[in-house]
Amino acid sequence: MKSEMAILPPNPEKATLEGKNKVLGFWLFLGGEMVLFGSLFATFIALRHGTAGGPKAQELFSLPMVALATFILLTSSLTSVLAILGMHRQNVGVLRGWLWITVLLGVAFLGLEVYEFTEYVNEGHTISSSAFGSAFYTLVGFHGGHVLAGVTWITLLIAQSYKKGLTVITAPKFYLASLYWHFVDLVWVFIFTVVYLIGKVGT
Amino acid sequence: MSNDLNQPVEIKHIAHQEGPKRHLITFVISILFTAFAFAAVVFAGQSPFVAPFIVVLALVQVLFQLYIWMHMDQKGHELPAIGIYFGFLIAFLAVVTFVYWLGGY
Repeated sequence: MKSEMAILPPNPEKATLEGKNKVLGFWLFLGGEMVLFGSLFATFIALRHGTAGGPKAQELFSLPMVALATFILLTSSLTSVLAILGMHRQNVGVLRGWLWITVLLGVAFLGLEVYEFTEYVNEGHTISSSAFGSAFYTLVGFHGGHVLAGVTWITLLIAQSYKKGLTVITAPKFYLASLYWHFVDLVWVFIFTVVYLIGKVGT
Repeated sequence: MSNDLNQPVEIKHIAHQEGPKRHLITFVISILFTAFAFAAVVFAGQSPFVAPFIVVLALVQVLFQLYIWMHMDQKGHELPAIGIYFGFLIAFLAVVTFVYWLGGY
């Protein structure tokens, strides 16, 4: 059994050259992700009024549901940063505990999104019903795909942590997963603002 | 295994460097900003200033995410900043091109 308290340098994710390179490389990847989501946002903003006679954003969206999804994702961003604080205190139990909560919140968010999409499809808003539908499901669906990827990634890291504990090899992995999770939340901030709230305003 | 793995380690000198307090404050601010944005749409949805107002709130929230939660405020984050801001610039140009130059739908 690994000890819960290991001897590690103060910032174990950047203690090795490999760790430093991973963090830098991941930031550049996030810059590229920004471009990806930027083009999807541009497409959505340009096509959002093209409903082809189908339901409009104003009629579809339910603000309480969006508010709940936003609250869940914001809270999960907090719990993932608390996990990293646990890692910096070299306490693998705290790290794992907060990551578990992050995963549960991520799954709750995904469940809400599946429910939401099902409702929309029942109301005649599908990916092929209009330009608005295509742009909406591509943008929000891509974000949901990122949440799913993050949930899977963090779950695998938690499983690995029971075997390998916290070392200078595993620390960068937790740190990157946390960066990714914050980025997914960052994209959601724009989604709830640009897609849902401005959609509800109708401008 | 060597003994020193099981020794209690002196970690107080790093433990005080960062606490959960600023993260909790950031969380509360983010929740408040989100609440403001939703409230603005619910109570003043007709105003032409609502859309720019909530976009500004979103931008401020994103800066909080980047600098507090993703630790961009710590030193050694010059290249990440270049990557993120360049990505943001391209994203912004894409929006401007699609919406204002190509004219939208």
